[in-house]
Amino acid sequence: MSKIIASAAIRGAHACMERAETMLAEAIERHGRDAAIGFPGTAYALPVILSLVGKRVEKLGDLEEALEEARGWLPAVPTEHLWLPYLGAALDAGSATLVAHEAVEAMKPLAGIPLAFDFWLGPTPDGILREQGIKLVDGRMPGFAACVGALPNDEAAEQLARDLQERNILVFMGSNSGGETMAAQLNRRGVEMNWETFLVPYGPDTSSIVHALGFACRAALTFGGLKPGGLKESREILLYNKRRVFAFVLALGELDDEKYATAAGTINFGFPVIADTDIPEILPSGICTYEHVVANVAHRDMPARAVEVRGVKMRTVEIPIPVRHGPAFEGERVRKEDLAIEFGGKYTRAFEYLISRPMDQLQDGLIRVAGPEIGDVPEAARLPLAIFVEVAGRKIQPEFESILERHIHSFLSEPMGVMHLGQRDTIWLRISKKARDAGFRIEHLGTVLLHKLKNDFPAIVDKVQVTLFTNAEDVDRLYPAAAAAYRQRDQRMGALTDEAVDTFYSCALCQSYAPNHVCIITPQRLGLCGAYNWLDGKAAYEINPHGGNLPVKKGEVLDPVLGQWKGINDFINNASNGAFPRFSTYSMLTDPMTSCGCFECVACVLPGTGGIMIVDREYQGQTPVGMSFSSLAEMVGGGQQTPGFIGIGTLYVVSKKFMTADGGLARLVWTTTRVKQRLGDMLRRRCEEIGRPELYDKIADETICTELEPLVAHLAAVEHPALAMGEMI
Amino acid sequence: MALELKPKKWPGTIRTVTLGGGRRRTLAVGGGNALPLHAFEGSFPHRPLLALEITDTAPGRWPAAATEPWQGVLGQPAAAARRAVEGYGADLVMLHLAGTHPDRGNRSPDDAVADVRAVLDAVPVPLIVRGPGAGRKQNDVLARVAEACGGEGLVLHSACQEDYRTLAAVAVAYGHVLVAESPIDMNIAKQLNILLADASVDLNRVLIDPLTGGLGYGLEYTYSVMQRIRLAALGGDPMLNAPVVCLAGEEAWKAKEAGVPRHKEPLWGDERQRGINWEVATALPLVEAGAEIVVLRHPEALARLRRQLDGWFAETNRGVA
Repeated sequence: MSKIIASAAIRGAHACMERAETMLAEAIERHGRDAAIGFPGTAYALPVILSLVGKRVEKLGDLEEALEEARGWLPAVPTEHLWLPYLGAALDAGSATLVAHEAVEAMKPLAGIPLAFDFWLGPTPDGILREQGIKLVDGRMPGFAACVGALPNDEAAEQLARDLQERNILVFMGSNSGGETMAAQLNRRGVEMNWETFLVPYGPDTSSIVHALGFACRAALTFGGLKPGGLKESREILLYNKRRVFAFVLALGELDDEKYATAAGTINFGFPVIADTDIPEILPSGICTYEHVVANVAHRDMPARAVEVRGVKMRTVEIPIPVRHGPAFEGERVRKEDLAIEFGGKYTRAFEYLISRPMDQLQDGLIRVAGPEIGDVPEAARLPLAIFVEVAGRKIQPEFESILERHIHSFLSEPMGVMHLGQRDTIWLRISKKARDAGFRIEHLGTVLLHKLKNDFPAIVDKVQVTLFTNAEDVDRLYPAAAAAYRQRDQRMGALTDEAVDTFYSCALCQSYAPNHVCIITPQRLGLCGAYNWLDGKAAYEINPHGGNLPVKKGEVLDPVLGQWKGINDFINNASNGAFPRFSTYSMLTDPMTSCGCFECVACVLPGTGGIMIVDREYQGQTPVGMSFSSLAEMVGGGQQTPGFIGIGTLYVVSKKFMTADGGLARLVWTTTRVKQRLGDMLRRRCEEIGRPELYDKIADETICTELEPLVAHLAAVEHPALAMGEMI
Repeated sequence: MALELKPKKWPGTIRTVTLGGGRRRTLAVGGGNALPLHAFEGSFPHRPLLALEITDTAPGRWPAAATEPWQGVLGQPAAAARRAVEGYGADLVMLHLAGTHPDRGNRSPDDAVADVRAVLDAVPVPLIVRGPGAGRKQNDVLARVAEACGGEGLVLHSACQEDYRTLAAVAVAYGHVLVAESPIDMNIAKQLNILLADASVDLNRVLIDPLTGGLGYGLEYTYSVMQRIRLAALGGDPMLNAPVVCLAGEEAWKAKEAGVPRHKEPLWGDERQRGINWEVATALPLVEAGAEIVVLRHPEALARLRRQLDGWFAETNRGVA
């Protein structure tokens, strides 16, 4: 922590403590130790002291003990030569300051100073806390801003208040800058301040800021079910606030020692400080989720910056577009005769390209159409299109770009009257006349992407900016970068091997149907449903750490050929409820993985051929093993280990790790034409890579035979390599 | 040769959850440590409880056979509750605040509080309060009820995966039991309990509603998911060992077969007996799959289940905590 800030905070804490002690001594002299103190309308006594000290203060005598305890937290005021007044000391000083503040506020009435007067509301009673505090906890209200001080002028004060209101952020105001207060500024502008408008002025002294923290503490005690007590309980209350109450401090105007001390106190709650002045910053995360003190922020940027620093997640309930939208419209087609405008298909160049940027390079929510809009061109016009999406997020990784980009298809299929097909540079997008007449414009494609990306991926996407290029020049200029990115992403996927990572992902999404089944997804073996690859698993875990996909450390290699690792086996044993102690990643004979019921294909050993066959789910006919897909599925599914039979995702066939323990791709003697078509060139390439370019044509399919005897004859005729490899079992 | 039983010992136990509280009578459910009804393998300290459903406004969609026992008290929750407990012997009552639904009367949260209060004053047993269904109104209504009836140990039905935070917060704040509802899906049941635990809810104050499919309408799915939840729970999974509540009556009486009058389907026989049979045939397998609370609509169905439970649980106290 900055020495300047830490020193100022500690000096301020001493000053606050001394003031509280002086006030207390006077109060005790005049009213005695048994005089009652407390805030009106609360069952939590002095809530900050109750939470931090663990003591219920009801009389001046109690307060004396509480202050004594907090006095003990105060570190010595640092001298020129002392170089260690760092984080811990400053935070302790901050806690002591809050205790002193609350003591001062509680004693004010005894000294004849009112807590609520003019437009100042004073501390919040429990009734309002119950009604409003729950909104902070359940997410209806994204957070609160404690505004400390005043703005340079009344207009700026109103602007800031409105910006915060617009985001549904509760605004607490307190303290002053040289006598001026934000609340007085709003009052002069005629702005209504109360709990209905979410603008709550606490008081003109810095000590009044403690009421905002009292509110936070009571939210934790009420809705978090936490009990005050000692140090451990106090820590729980602070952590609850860090995790659930998305609050931050806006430091407005010059900061004095006392404000630094107060700020140090709020950092204990995980509430960062955003300042409009040039104070030393404290950037690395530690107590707060991200930065602790961010300085020099312009007033108009404060709400956005604060939301970002605190990690507040905003959700839009209704996407502001003029047509209905939802998964129900996903499969909708826009016919030629209903067409208002179209992009791509075989007519124009159209592509979509999503990249991630550093946080500070994006303006969240910026949507631009560069080129003609829907109204600028004749009906049924064909325009080129580049959908250029830039995203930023604290937890975003370049690997997630392709996953997010792949979602553009479903997002843009959801508005009624918009048809979207394909991905990357093969897209085809149509907007219907009806949608256009309802007011839908090209710009709204950006609106949809902005809100869907933020709503569906809140854990990884914080900012989105969309540019829709609709003139050929711009589209052509951007295309090489997009094409290079597609290539690079494919290469990156290709380079991702099981050896290159130390973590695989589990998938237990199907345990409802197959209670002991769990998939292990590796970079080179995708989930058997074909829907989840390793990257999807990784992203799914980032998005929802309580979901069906968990990271599993490989751990020690037990068998490199079969593909068994200690970490994976331990996990499987546990996740299968003890049913399976071991899984082989590369074998269908020894400890094969289980299958739920969602597999794209079934692979099974064909005795008498030395090989295996693979049949896909769509195939209705007979197979050389004498069973149809559905009979095979019954044997394989349900989460059992059936050596010789497994469910697989189709793409696993062209993985370099395809059943390597059992002989690999050369064992494949029969499959369906559909599988061959789907894998096509990828399969040819794999045959070449294993040094058997002729293998592709030797693999039989249902057009050659569907029974074992003719298959064996065929394999002999074409000299299929499996025959020479010997029986598998 | 005599059959030798080899009882299986499970590492896990179902949590015991206490309903009611304060001056209200308390009832406990759960605590079993073997598969349902496997009395030879473990112990079941508490019997399954039988609840009757009452509504805030006269129900629009119940077949005549289901409303007949409630004639004179339909839409009068306090009187209906008294009849359910004193007249029909229900262990507890579920008040369904159906009339608060925006499309079915849109009664206010304050009306709901008044109804719940009236029922609490009328009967001494624990109360399940069912909201109008997921969404904002559900939260508005149940949050207000929870606050106004703090300390009564209500059972709030229900929080779901998409929307659990509000009800989690009020259950914690005012000491109620929360029902976690999942759509016949063990993963979601587990995930929701993890989320609730994360939101500071004590899992000893949570019941699972796995969502009931009525007889002929998915009962076997519910049965099978309940079995799996129970196997995982007894296997030691601390996120799935909550007791289970099933709304059997509602699902049974929704079935076409339960309500069609005799003159339309003469071969199906008297609709009154048919409806009750349908309800019993839905509820009984759920008890066999481990339901700790079954909510019913017809008192005769309750009486028949009671006889069955009396046979099975002769030795066990009726829900005494």
